[in-house]
Amino acid sequence: MSRMAGIFRGRTPAGAASTDSIPGAALLWLIGSFGLLLLPQWNRLPWWLIAACVVLAGWRWLAQTGRVRLPGRWLRTGIMLVLTGVYIGTVEGRFTVDTAASFFVLAVGLKWLETRSARDFYVLFFILVYLSAVNFLFKQDIFWALLTFGAIGCLLIGLQILNAPDLPGSLKSGWKRLGLLLVKTLPVVLLLFMFFPRMAPLWSVPLVSGEARSGISDSMRPGDISNLAQSSERAFRVTFGGPAPEYRDRYWRGLILDYLDGETWRQRDAEPFQRPGRVAVDGGVGPLASNQYDVLMEPTDQRWAFSLENSVAASDNVFDAGEDLFRFRRPADSAVRYRLALEPGPVQARQELSPAMRQRYLQLPGEANPQARALASELAGAHAPVQLVNALMTRFREQEYYYTLRPPVMPRDGIDALLFDEKRGFCAHYAGAATFVFRAAGIPSRVVIGYQGGDAGAGDDYLIVRQYDAHAWVEVWLDGRGWVRVDPTAAIAPSRIEFGLREAMEEEGSFLENNLTSPQRYGDFAMLQWASLQMDRINYHWQRWVVGYQGQSQMDLMSRLPGGIGLRELGYITAGLVGFALLVAGLVSALSMRRGTRQDGFRQVVGAWHRLCEQVGVPVRNGETPGALAERMARARPAISETVRIFARTVNSHYYSAPTATQADEDAQRLRRLLKTMKRQLRRGHETESAPRTPQHD
Amino acid sequence: MGMIKKIVKRRWHRWIGRRIPRADMQAFSQKNIFILPTGAGVVFGVLLLIMLITGINYQNSLIYLLTFALGALFVGAMHQTHRNLSGLTLSLVRAGESEAGDDVPFSLRVSAGKDAGLAMILSVEDSRLEGVHVPSGQSLDVVLPVPSAHRGYLRPDRIRIETRFPFGLLKAWSWLRPVSAGIAYPRPVPAPDVLSQVDDGSEAKSEAKVMGQDNADLRPWREGDMSQRVMWKRFARSGQMVVADWEGEQGSPHWLDFSAFPGADTELRLSYLAWLIADRVQQGVRFGLNLPGEVIEPDTGPVHGERCLRALAVWGEKPPREQDALAFGTRKAVDGAPAGGSA
Repeated sequence: MSRMAGIFRGRTPAGAASTDSIPGAALLWLIGSFGLLLLPQWNRLPWWLIAACVVLAGWRWLAQTGRVRLPGRWLRTGIMLVLTGVYIGTVEGRFTVDTAASFFVLAVGLKWLETRSARDFYVLFFILVYLSAVNFLFKQDIFWALLTFGAIGCLLIGLQILNAPDLPGSLKSGWKRLGLLLVKTLPVVLLLFMFFPRMAPLWSVPLVSGEARSGISDSMRPGDISNLAQSSERAFRVTFGGPAPEYRDRYWRGLILDYLDGETWRQRDAEPFQRPGRVAVDGGVGPLASNQYDVLMEPTDQRWAFSLENSVAASDNVFDAGEDLFRFRRPADSAVRYRLALEPGPVQARQELSPAMRQRYLQLPGEANPQARALASELAGAHAPVQLVNALMTRFREQEYYYTLRPPVMPRDGIDALLFDEKRGFCAHYAGAATFVFRAAGIPSRVVIGYQGGDAGAGDDYLIVRQYDAHAWVEVWLDGRGWVRVDPTAAIAPSRIEFGLREAMEEEGSFLENNLTSPQRYGDFAMLQWASLQMDRINYHWQRWVVGYQGQSQMDLMSRLPGGIGLRELGYITAGLVGFALLVAGLVSALSMRRGTRQDGFRQVVGAWHRLCEQVGVPVRNGETPGALAERMARARPAISETVRIFARTVNSHYYSAPTATQADEDAQRLRRLLKTMKRQLRRGHETESAPRTPQHD
Repeated sequence: MGMIKKIVKRRWHRWIGRRIPRADMQAFSQKNIFILPTGAGVVFGVLLLIMLITGINYQNSLIYLLTFALGALFVGAMHQTHRNLSGLTLSLVRAGESEAGDDVPFSLRVSAGKDAGLAMILSVEDSRLEGVHVPSGQSLDVVLPVPSAHRGYLRPDRIRIETRFPFGLLKAWSWLRPVSAGIAYPRPVPAPDVLSQVDDGSEAKSEAKVMGQDNADLRPWREGDMSQRVMWKRFARSGQMVVADWEGEQGSPHWLDFSAFPGADTELRLSYLAWLIADRVQQGVRFGLNLPGEVIEPDTGPVHGERCLRALAVWGEKPPREQDALAFGTRKAVDGAPAGGSA
């Protein structure tokens, strides 16, 4: 308690002295910038860390206003130890870029307590600049990017105030100065951005973030995908070189679940261990061929890529992983673009399924769901495989099965409950149940999860596939035809497959019912839809052309310029650019110097007079007054004696008064006229005096 | 090592001397403005490098963009900082006077050219004057105190003008190398009672004495009379401004004599004399000063006092020559000198 009481400043002058050296306004801009830089990280950072940062920065500000004192060394050390302890507790030994970034934020927060001098101010400035770079690792949307650049602007305003605290109107002139500087340097920045060679990473550090990503996972319980249906977050965007396929054909295959473990569908073979590294974000350059499509995928922290049936890889950051699925070499820890091409027929048409494979796709657990098994054997007795599949689909279509986002809980023998009692479920329920029945009936089958659908973005440039488009369906093996897609949802709720979830859920009214902030929820408001799509378009192009401007895009752009430009040439261009910019800056300042001296017309006209004196044979002596020089000139050339005396008087009066700028200009003009007269008189005098003078000269 | 340092230093001074000739007025242009990154600027450069590496390693275009923008801003700031000084004129209006060991006020005029000169720092050795702002086309008079080390002429080698505006990442600076010198009077030391008739300078006694003196005519105050001569005690008593007129003393002036303190060191003598002059001026007594080689005729008043003090200050001293590269009479000059010229 006594410790706390000690924080409040008494009358000790020490407290006053400690915070005097930083102007309050500068500190405020610094704190403001810190606040802005924390915003993009709000959902990534632990809540206690944000709270601690707010408290520490607030403490510093209160100390500035004199209401409290900054903590002494012991208290400061105590705070530091406590917060570091909490940090270590939450991190639990994981070391990733994400935890490192959190620690970075913690360090900034603690630094507020010891920001006393201008030096500390600069330390904070540097840390905050780097923090903004760290922000870019995690958030690259145009909105967050602009916010971060705004925070940098605040920092630079703070620096200006720190360096000229008592300058009146410093804020307005500060922004103006900063803006002018940015506008002037913008061309160089843009050229550098375009031409600076994009090298390969020097070493590879995973960018694993602790953030929970929404998206499909590699296992499926019956209720799983209906959770995703409440999210309107973007999964990926697709640009087609040719016309986009029909809505009902937009099945984006992600992964295959072939192993039923109780109620849960899984992959039989776990994904192979992948040593950590960065995903190659740069996929495919040049215009799209008519059968190609570009996918710009949001980060998933997973390796799988989404593709239409019968695709082949067209960019080298994805590879065919078998079964017509595509994978990245590293988890997609940031937004990644890849390119695929559609083939006219099946890419991997196999006529035979090996016995091992057949066994694998017939696997079923234990004895659960006896009714479903009974149904399967009944159907198998009556039909050949193709007819069996159709029979089950007919059952789904004709009986009272419902497609719903509010399925009942079916704890025991879920498939039996779904098929015979409740008859209400979401795509995951029906896909799982159908696969179960097919397998029980002896038809090799598997669950496929991914997305189905995708709405046109602004201007019909591309499709946007959102999390609520997540879907699960079935593939069955038919001898002679290979794997064939069978979608129970299409039988139960055709509108889901034809038009999307919004249409399918219209009656139930459950589309995005738990997601009040999503603009997609309010489909009736055309303005809102329009604005949301325009924002998405801006962001799409930002992602595509600015954020995604990497090695291959750069090479692609360069290859369109005349002359073969490789990495080395880019290096030369960059060096040349920097040199050229410096040269231009130097020339500009030299020119303005020249102009400055030219504007000083007074000095110039006096110089011209001095040259005239030299010409007529009156050398200018050092330290001579204009009057004395004029007298000597008048003696040498009596023709101009009057004019030169007036000239000298004008020069003198200019020297001895303190003329304003306009007076100085007038003086200079007057002198110029006098000088002209002088020259005219000299010429005339030369003509008249030429006769007596000529002998002297010769 | 010391030899090389000396040579380098001499060359440096000669080089600066060529660029910035000794003058009481200096216009700053590209020719004589120096610009370098500050410590913070160097760290900023390192930071940009680290950010560039981060950008390369994470293949992050936005970090590239930020790095280039900040780098370009740094170069832009170089231009801006330079322009703060460029076109500026710094002139020494008056080199002041003060007691040795005190700060001598140097009056300077800063005139801005086309561009404003913002957040400038004027400094001489340890003395600094911060936050000098001059809007474009205007001038500003400032007083820079220059600490003196000993009696005599005081001329700093260089008066530094510096600016770090706008961001403090770069500093541009130049110098004024003044010709005119200020003057530091000897520091007064109470003189032993060899010459003075006044005991310890005690005011009460001296006034009593004045009052008792027959030859002091008391007359009403007239415009132009010095305030020291007013009998303030009488004023307090009666409210009348009465002045002691020392007409009668004119025939027997007091001479303050350099040779009146046998055995004392030169500087000490000068200090005694300085004290006596101050004392006489305060009393309004008429006095003259007799220095070897220089005699100042008796007179009264503070102007006379200052003249005498100035004579003491520069007695035996040569005015600094224009070519002298080094500081003259400042603290640093004394510290740097191999054998101190002062007591």
